[in-house]
Amino acid sequence: MTTQLKDEAPLGRIVVITSGKGGVGKTTSAAAISAGLAQQGYKTVVIDFDVGLRNLDMIMGCERRVVFDFINVIQGDARLKQALIKDKRLDTLFILPTSQTRDKDALTQEGVETVLNELKEEFDYIICDSPAGIERGAQLAMYFADEAVVVTNPEVSSVRDSDRVLGLLSSKTQRAEKGDGEPVKARILLTRHDQSRIDKGEMMTVDDVLEILAVPLLGIIPESQAVLRASNVGTPVILDEPSSAQTAYKDAVSRLLGEEIEMRIESERKPGLFQRLFGRSA
Amino acid sequence: MTAIALRIESDQFDDAFFEAIDEQITKAPQLLLDAPLVLDFSKVPEFADSAALADLVAKLRTRNMLVFGVQNTTDPQLEAADGLGLIPVRIGRDGPAPEAKPARKSKVDRLLPPDNKVITKPVRSGQLVVAERGDLTVIGPVSSGAELVAAGNIHVYGPLRGRAMAGCHGDEGGRIFCRALHAELLAVAGLYRTSESIEDELRGKAVQIFLKDERLCVEALG
Repeated sequence: MTTQLKDEAPLGRIVVITSGKGGVGKTTSAAAISAGLAQQGYKTVVIDFDVGLRNLDMIMGCERRVVFDFINVIQGDARLKQALIKDKRLDTLFILPTSQTRDKDALTQEGVETVLNELKEEFDYIICDSPAGIERGAQLAMYFADEAVVVTNPEVSSVRDSDRVLGLLSSKTQRAEKGDGEPVKARILLTRHDQSRIDKGEMMTVDDVLEILAVPLLGIIPESQAVLRASNVGTPVILDEPSSAQTAYKDAVSRLLGEEIEMRIESERKPGLFQRLFGRSA
Repeated sequence: MTAIALRIESDQFDDAFFEAIDEQITKAPQLLLDAPLVLDFSKVPEFADSAALADLVAKLRTRNMLVFGVQNTTDPQLEAADGLGLIPVRIGRDGPAPEAKPARKSKVDRLLPPDNKVITKPVRSGQLVVAERGDLTVIGPVSSGAELVAAGNIHVYGPLRGRAMAGCHGDEGGRIFCRALHAELLAVAGLYRTSESIEDELRGKAVQIFLKDERLCVEALG
């Protein structure tokens, strides 16, 4: 997974962006990571699994171009090519929006598998933006994943929910059920990191979070005005104006691609033991 | 209703027979006096003498044994019993069959070899790990919201933030050991303590938890 030649078969790697808890930044991160991968030349598609609460297309700024959606494809009402929306900024980036009028029961395991298999034929990275919770929608989003990015805020309830999701990733996924080969490779993306609040003792430190979750860290995204601004104008953070959040997402994307990049946090703190351990393997 | 069955083994009801009965009555008056009695004919299928039967029933009744029925009868025997006020009793079919006792099953369980479990991955929130027979060892962290249950001891080589229940089948000798105590709940053989009642100075320490004089003790190790 080092260099990507144009003539090679697509990687067809499925990455789920999940968290358990809502509002921690899954969709923002899914948009940023998929844009980042596309920017690096990988053909990427991002799928919205949050049926009934369609948000991804807004954050990607393509909500006015949605005709057919993921559910239409699953139910055979539209072909995949008709539902895929090509991003206007990056020609390697595609969006598969979801339905706003249906609910998560419209998702079937066979349907999802068929669509994902078709996408694997063509794309290097398939990013699944999971809904919050641990119910059907979230479980289907993670079921076929090769890798998982668990989005976590440095805060107790988010960490506990992420822990629950990590448990599901190691038991309720296709890789886990097969039992042979590699398990789902899960990493933590710590979002809304606010050093000043950590110093005041209002938030958990990175070390605390990693000690509880015991999986490698993919990146630390600082709390930033740029994130909200980017969402409101419908541009993934990574394609918006330079900001600390943008740099952090770019680093995270590079780590996702297997590069070793030092964990940069806006902090004078020395990296703790866990950080050093996991930062290296990330 | 419980009734006593008198199994007839010969068709001669002589003095020796009644002497034997009287002896039984003296030995166990509470069981036999005023006891409802059923005559069992399974050993004497040929015996169908109604006069001898009437005599037997009368003599038993004078001894305060309340003969009211017959069982395992052949048709001629039923006819012979007719008119003596005896009802045919079918055995063991009226009530529901007694259920297999769970006690027997657990006995079998105890005879099975112990089945110790070793978990080498983190036990996460929402996960339940049970060692039905034997010890449970976790090499890694146990998150808050996770549950460990073992018939024997529980060992956690890592921080224990979830719940741990040792001696779940009542083994009071079960113990819990952990590297760093942050547990939500600790229990041995049903006696438990929640994190609220664990002394602050033991928090985060390597400890063992055991029962002593019906009290759950938490003690620092080393």
